[in-house]
Amino acid sequence: MAGGPLMDQAAVRARLGETTIGIIGLGGLGSNAAMMLVRSGVRRLVLADFDCVEESNLNRQLYFPDQLGRPKADALADTLTRINPAVALTLVTERITRENIAQVYGGVDVLIEAVDTAEGKAALVAAASELLPHTPLVWAMGLAGCASANDIETRCIGENSWIVGDLVADVREGLPLLASRVMVAAAQEAHMAIRLLLGMREA
Amino acid sequence: MTIELALFAKFSARHPVPGAGRSARPYSVPECTTVGQLIGDLGLADELRITFVNGRHADDELVLAQGDRVAVFPPVAGG
Repeated sequence: MAGGPLMDQAAVRARLGETTIGIIGLGGLGSNAAMMLVRSGVRRLVLADFDCVEESNLNRQLYFPDQLGRPKADALADTLTRINPAVALTLVTERITRENIAQVYGGVDVLIEAVDTAEGKAALVAAASELLPHTPLVWAMGLAGCASANDIETRCIGENSWIVGDLVADVREGLPLLASRVMVAAAQEAHMAIRLLLGMREA
Repeated sequence: MTIELALFAKFSARHPVPGAGRSARPYSVPECTTVGQLIGDLGLADELRITFVNGRHADDELVLAQGDRVAVFPPVAGG
């Protein structure tokens, strides 16, 4: 069925409201994915980022000039609470590593990887796959540049792993990060997470 | 023995198979080959990479078996 299982808006929100989503990294991917999840009905999120809001973030990340210098987790919590005052957020301002990932994210229903470095992605995919093998993982690679947004796809690549992106476009090659293309990837991460929470596993 | 090998993005460009695109191609390796040995054989030992075998993340020490499906991704920065 093209629209998935028959669920009306209230049923979707009720189901999503019972779930917990984890997001690692609150930049262009993570901050926007969190916003879309909360608007869709998710109330419980575990949000981690060790960075503070910088002016260079404002072109694509869900932060505002009056939040410059604040920890991203704290600033994003304020915005998500404005969208839905009933959100229940767990905020982590330390770096997520294989030493703490199971403790921080052991209770989530779906985990979203949204960090910015290639090394960080490789390490977190390895750690999450090994230490949280039963937690569905949605991760992203390839969202920079001006190429067609149609090149960004969601693919199921394993028993419990979905990857979003064009797999190619790399900021290390000097490509710009445009809000429009970054948010396509963020939306696909959020949407795959929602589908998983509703019992749909196909990309 | 033969495995099914899928290389993505720049790794695929280094080992092009006409018509294969992103899809897996048969690849012959000796019995008891590890993921790390396969990666070395492909000339990717010094590359940052993410490897899945049969849908699960795999370390370099994993010993491959006939018919295993191996996918190798180069991690891409940006977020």
